Amino acid sequence: MVSYEKILTKNMDTPGYMGTLPEYRATGGYTAFEKALKMPPAEIIDIVKKSGLRGRGGAGFPTGVKWSFIPKTHVGQRYLCCNADESEPGTFKDRQLIERDPHQMLEGIGIASYAIGASVAYIYIRGEFDLGAKIIESAIQEAYQAKFFGKNLLGSGFNLEVILHRGAGAYICGEETALLESIEGKRGKPRTKPPFPAVHGLYQAPTVVNNVETLANVPYIINRGAEWYASIGTPKSPGTRIFSVSGHVKRPGNYEVPLGITLREMIYTCAGGIRNDKALKAIIPGGASAAFLTPAHLDTPMDFEAIAQIGSMLGSGGVTVMDEETCMVQAATNLLEFFYHESCGKCTPCREGSSWILQVLHRIERGTGRASDLDLLETLCRRIEGVTVCAFGDAEVAPVLSTLKHFKEEYVAHIEGRGCPFQPNVELVMAH
Amino acid sequence: MAGFVHLTIDGQGIEVESGTPLIEAAKQAGAEIAHFCYHPKLKPDANCRMCLVEIEKMPKLQTSCSTPAAEGMVVHTASNRVKQAQEGVMSFLLGNHPLDCPECDQGGECQLQDFAHQHSPTLSPFSEEKRVFDKEYFGPLIEKEMNRCVSCLRCVRYCDEVLDVNALGSIDRGTMTQIGGFAHHELDCEFCGGCIQICPVGALTSRLSMYDYRPWQVKKTETICNYCGDGCELTLESINNTVVRTSSKLGTGRNTGDLCVRGFFGYGAIGHKDRLTRPMIRRGNHRLQITWKGAVESAVAALKKIVETHGPGSVGGVISAHCTNEEIYLFQKLLRQGIGTPHVDSSTRYGYVNAITGLHKVFGTTRLARYEDVVGADVLLVFAGEMTETNPIAALKVKEAVRKHNATLIAVDAYTKQSDPFRSHLPRLAKYHLQILQGAESLAIVGLTKALLENPVLSEGDFSPLFLEQVTKSVALFSFEEIHAATGISQEAFSQAAAAYAGATRGVLIFGRAITGSEEGYINVVRLAHLAILAKQVGRPGTGILALASENNAYGAIAMGGLPEYLPGFSPANGAGYTLPGMLDACERGEIKALYLVGENPLRSLPQKNVQAALSKLDLLICQDLFLSETAAIAHVVFPAVSFAEKEGRFTNQEGEVQRVRKAVEPVGNAKTDLEIFSMMGAAIASSSAAGVPAVSFDYANSEAVWREIMATVPDGFHTDSAEAVSQHVAVYAQQAIELAPPVVISKRRNPDEFDLQVGQALFHSGRMSTYASGLTTLLSSAIVLMHPSDSDRMGVEEGEQVTLRAGSGTVCLPVKTSLKVQPGTLFVPEHFSLDVKRLLPLAFDPTTGVPYSTRGRVTVSKQKIS
Ligand SMILES: Cc1cc2nc3c(=O)[nH]c(=O)nc-3n(C[C@H](O)[C@H](O)[C@H](O)COP(=O)(O)O)c2cc1C
Ligand code: SF4
Ligand code: SF4
Ligand code: SF4
Ligand code: FES
Repeated sequence: MVSYEKILTKNMDTPGYMGTLPEYRATGGYTAFEKALKMPPAEIIDIVKKSGLRGRGGAGFPTGVKWSFIPKTHVGQRYLCCNADESEPGTFKDRQLIERDPHQMLEGIGIASYAIGASVAYIYIRGEFDLGAKIIESAIQEAYQAKFFGKNLLGSGFNLEVILHRGAGAYICGEETALLESIEGKRGKPRTKPPFPAVHGLYQAPTVVNNVETLANVPYIINRGAEWYASIGTPKSPGTRIFSVSGHVKRPGNYEVPLGITLREMIYTCAGGIRNDKALKAIIPGGASAAFLTPAHLDTPMDFEAIAQIGSMLGSGGVTVMDEETCMVQAATNLLEFFYHESCGKCTPCREGSSWILQVLHRIERGTGRASDLDLLETLCRRIEGVTVCAFGDAEVAPVLSTLKHFKEEYVAHIEGRGCPFQPNVELVMAH
Repeated sequence: MAGFVHLTIDGQGIEVESGTPLIEAAKQAGAEIAHFCYHPKLKPDANCRMCLVEIEKMPKLQTSCSTPAAEGMVVHTASNRVKQAQEGVMSFLLGNHPLDCPECDQGGECQLQDFAHQHSPTLSPFSEEKRVFDKEYFGPLIEKEMNRCVSCLRCVRYCDEVLDVNALGSIDRGTMTQIGGFAHHELDCEFCGGCIQICPVGALTSRLSMYDYRPWQVKKTETICNYCGDGCELTLESINNTVVRTSSKLGTGRNTGDLCVRGFFGYGAIGHKDRLTRPMIRRGNHRLQITWKGAVESAVAALKKIVETHGPGSVGGVISAHCTNEEIYLFQKLLRQGIGTPHVDSSTRYGYVNAITGLHKVFGTTRLARYEDVVGADVLLVFAGEMTETNPIAALKVKEAVRKHNATLIAVDAYTKQSDPFRSHLPRLAKYHLQILQGAESLAIVGLTKALLENPVLSEGDFSPLFLEQVTKSVALFSFEEIHAATGISQEAFSQAAAAYAGATRGVLIFGRAITGSEEGYINVVRLAHLAILAKQVGRPGTGILALASENNAYGAIAMGGLPEYLPGFSPANGAGYTLPGMLDACERGEIKALYLVGENPLRSLPQKNVQAALSKLDLLICQDLFLSETAAIAHVVFPAVSFAEKEGRFTNQEGEVQRVRKAVEPVGNAKTDLEIFSMMGAAIASSSAAGVPAVSFDYANSEAVWREIMATVPDGFHTDSAEAVSQHVAVYAQQAIELAPPVVISKRRNPDEFDLQVGQALFHSGRMSTYASGLTTLLSSAIVLMHPSDSDRMGVEEGEQVTLRAGSGTVCLPVKTSLKVQPGTLFVPEHFSLDVKRLLPLAFDPTTGVPYSTRGRVTVSKQKIS
């Protein structure tokens, strides 16, 4: 097995490494921040742009470009928000970064805030991350004590206040504008874009929202240079990514690899292959919002473009693997139950569509599906796709459309056989 | 930044102001885009996804409500893609909808119905189980049917963005999303009805008019509200001569389509069963119903006898400022010219007259600011903490200035900065809140003026030395320490507020009853006028002063000469006439023998004065009213008059805006308009032609004829004076000697049982008339006393528990309602119900205007013993 250089999870391999400030400092921690504070902010943005770093939260937007959208002429408050809401089913990499080596993220927050001129940074952490919140809280304290946060940092005149904000348990609060609403004390519901947060963000001030992993990469880029970073991975998808592999594999877990290794390598080499050596049936390559793939896609490189080309996305980096015994209708239903439960209810297609789709799926799974239901499902999905306030709408139809596309025969079998061929005796209970 | 952009919509090139949302731009191109959540009053929320359009070069369909028109855009509003998307959204909206149009009050004026006809096929693909919400009510007046809700959040956004009340929110998630009050509490809001009006479907409807009408059956009459001086345009909707509902039209009127609770739910007084329907005369202890002819003849015969014996000066008349301009004009004509007496006054004597006479003296005009100036101001100085209750729509203008346009609000009042839940409250929006002790208005004005004068930058200006000297002298009497002690406001706070006001580009000063209806009212208006002059916030476009009126035609009553100071058109009268309190004194002295009261009820409004004794000395008391008031009950002759809904004419609002009042329903019974009654009286008096009185014509075909005469008599009575004219008048004024009495210092409360008591207007009522409107009495039907929770806690008083207020030998028991708004140590009692509470208050009169002050006093409070 080829071994790749780890960047973000490297320290964690050191036995006994707890991620405290002294330990992090011993590995060269905060030297990038010290270096950055001596550079003009525009130069930092330029380096990050050149490195090609792309967002690790879901959309894969180039990070340096996002930073450069902050209006240069804006006087007054600007904000940085670190998105630590990690709620995408099948994704658990930010949690590890937070719990095992939190200062990478904090250092990244420091550099990013300085680069965009934000004197206040929020870390929005998923409500359930109790341990993570405690660890960040004490790491922030350490950073304040070491004068990495606070006033006039390292004599640069730059002030930075870092505030930890705990979420209250809604998946949608990971969506960047819902996250902003939530920090503002309102119900976490997405805003219509445009305007984008870079122009009207938190409290209407210019704001950058970045994922934990995205920010954790920044110190290394500053220290080791854009060229070094760009040399890892593929030209358009540089760097490493931490993939969270779960499902029917032998070794589920987080794997940091360069972007561009194949799905096959990920599943069969890193994660050890399918449990009990069963056959592979389906792969979700980027969290619950990504379309299902099939064994036919195994040789596709895991980079943003290649996965998009085959109709899915790298999304949050959550790779869920399903073996031959998995019912695809049930898998889609299971995900739709999640989406039905989490739809914020703001916009019509998603609010009404999620329950409608779920009712049809339940019917099919229960054995009372109709021949017309496949068309109906397709129609409902097409009526949601692309017209909702936030990307949740596209996310919730992905499992349905992709299973309909790749596993239509299973739907037909449910309808014609009046029940689930995989679990013929199970009576599904309506979720609502 | 306002420039123009050019774009193409459905093949048509158009030009619109930049920033215009596409949905509005499309209207120009003749395309109506279906929508639910969009509303021109609200910030776009783009949640319904109905208004999607295709924009070339943009891969996704865009919501036209939230996308501003941009240069060169090419937009398609009816392409196949758009149609498909709209059909999709419609199918989602209709899926769970109950489709119960036949029993829905919105049926016939429902956006869902209308757009469904355009954008949905007849057959729905939805064959699942519908989501069902249980029926609930939003308090006593609002019906909530969440199964019909399209979750557009217009109601929530209106309540927040426009009203600043925040009573509504969306609760739960996904398909279970619904509109609710905070934490499922019973709705206890301002009940403006805005949510009902803005709801595009039948999810929120009025319980007051439930099932009373179908929208296409009603007759709609656009008229002006007859409660407060804000002058809102509203539509009375009637069926079979009964008003079943009021509504308002987006963007129309001085209220731009907004209403308050009184306008929306207060129409019940119009057709109330207790309305007077026939003329009556008193015989001994009995009231007899007689014909109009008989009533008018006996009134005129008695009048004639009195005039012959005691002269015309033995007759006096007082008219309510709720009457129309034409009526008030005719009334003063009847008294001044028909009878020949100078004694004519109006209900503006309860305070508003202070504003008008004071401002008129200093500025030569009283129309100094319009709502546009309020909305456009960058700094607002407001001496009316109670404004959200007394003048709710003018208060909306202040909210708009502050919340939408970031104006700086300086609020000076005796309230706390906190509001009660789900009520708006201007002090809450204030950047500078000078929370003064009750009754300290005059010293607060002095403090601000002093702070201005002591700041060389601010007081720089082209003032006449005499003016500066006199004003400086008038504030020199008190040091800032003394002012601080008396008002509770530090020199620094005064300086900051004064600097903010004087630093304004467009500063507007607003004051209300706390100034005009309270001690030193007249002189405080003059002091405020001086402050505005010194701050250079008057006489320039965009600056000015707005005096709030509690009665719908208060301004008109004065402009029409309904007071002894002025003839119609503000021309000075000879000064021989008595004011209302003066007339009552003259009655008591036996000097006035006949009194003609139109909509006036002094037995109620001045309970501390021995009005009963004064009136009992009269040979003739004529009362003209809608209801048998306390005073009408002892009158010799009672004329049944009609409400604003039954007549034509004009009201002038507090900005000086003359607006048309239109008849919606026929008069009840034999009641007649005041205009008809005055004409009959005038004609009868003229024909009986008492010796020495020249015959005057009272022959008018209708209110238009009266209006033409008014316009011919006072052609200049209504024009708004230009900024230059104001400046010129001020320049002349500044050369004159100004007499300014020193401000009065209110004594301190001595012990914790002692409270400052304020009696005033409640949001849900306006005068007495509103207490006949069932919609309003449902919300508040008897007196309560508002007390700060810290006081009720201290005294161990529970919410709703009775306490005894005591002053001298008088006592009143009232239930307590806690309120965060009133200062600790102060109490507030609404004036609309209990007469007794006013008896606890001292009565004083303004030395200049004779305005009776009886709304403030000091009481002790004790828990009532359970007997
Ligand atoms: C429904 C939904 C949920 C999301 N949840 C998360 C999340 O939990 N964590 C995250 O980093 N990004 C999440 N995102 C993506 C964010 O909106 C945003 O794109 C991201 O935080 C930007 O950071 P990046 O540029 O560093 O990726 C979510 C997006 C959607 C539409
Ligand atoms: S797409 Fe769904 S989650 Fe996103 S705003 Fe609309 S209802 Fe809310
Ligand atoms: S109640 Fe009416 S206004 Fe409010 S969200 Fe529902 S449909 Fe919209
Ligand atoms: S009472 Fe005043 S604010 Fe309310 S609707 Fe009538 S005029 Fe407007
Ligand atoms: S009207 Fe535009 S999204 Fe609702």
